[in-house]
Amino acid sequence: MSLQTKSYIKGVKVSERHGAGEWLQERLSSLILVPLTVWGLWSGWVLSGAGYDGALAWFRSPVNAILLATTLLVTLWHMNMGLKVIVDDYIHKPMSRNALVGLIGLLCVVLAAAGVFFIVRLALGSAPLPAGFGA
Amino acid sequence: MSTSPLPGDASNDPSDHQTGRFVRQPNGRVRPLSPHLQVWRWHVTMLASILVRVTGGALAVGVLLVAIWLMALAFGPDAYAVFTGWMGSPLGLLVWIGLTAALAYHFAGGVRHLIWDAGEGLTPKSANLLSTASIAFAVVVTVAFWAGLFMTGRVVL
Repeated sequence: MSLQTKSYIKGVKVSERHGAGEWLQERLSSLILVPLTVWGLWSGWVLSGAGYDGALAWFRSPVNAILLATTLLVTLWHMNMGLKVIVDDYIHKPMSRNALVGLIGLLCVVLAAAGVFFIVRLALGSAPLPAGFGA
Repeated sequence: MSTSPLPGDASNDPSDHQTGRFVRQPNGRVRPLSPHLQVWRWHVTMLASILVRVTGGALAVGVLLVAIWLMALAFGPDAYAVFTGWMGSPLGLLVWIGLTAALAYHFAGGVRHLIWDAGEGLTPKSANLLSTASIAFAVVVTVAFWAGLFMTGRVVL
């Protein structure tokens, strides 16, 4: 689309590139996170002081595991957009900005993959991963 | 700091010392400097808006901690004991109390922005009320949550 084209919806000037889509995604992810955050706070309450066995028992409920995975993924989606907006606002050199946005995206993908991997293992009751961590 | 000149004086006598108040444009005209945050009176809406961003940044750290929690749990009881040892320490609890406040505030601030995005509550009075309410909500939720955790013995210092 040419940059000269002006787009209007109901007489209001709207983004001619990808801004409107990002705006909608930010609101959509916020809306989904409203109930998930309430559930997350409740889960934090339940898991506090529950210990290792209590946490494992919590994960054996498929509802908990599925809701936690959903919360994690939607949160990372929301977080990726939020951090990108902060970088866009304060970092003006294209090279630094693109590098930071790329790093943030990479971090979110790694957290999503690792998080879902751990959640699936815990939900299936898999044996603890190789010892040595924190020992 | 000198007395602040009236804007009218500036264009009449551009040679006056009005550092920080006015700026000479490239075409030689003297224009008032745009208001900077340092000289801007704080409104509750400003504070509330900025807090959404600050708490959002803090919650990114919270996501990292949740990922570490999942990892510790997946690595078995020994790793989990190390994790709960750190997080149950006074410093760890302080971090989690802060994250609870950040989550409660970001939640309330997010809902407030969704209300505003729907075109509601945008008069100065409603906007101020919604901003104050979201800050109060975060304080109440955080205090109630942690008072409850300590009183039911789920968390002990």
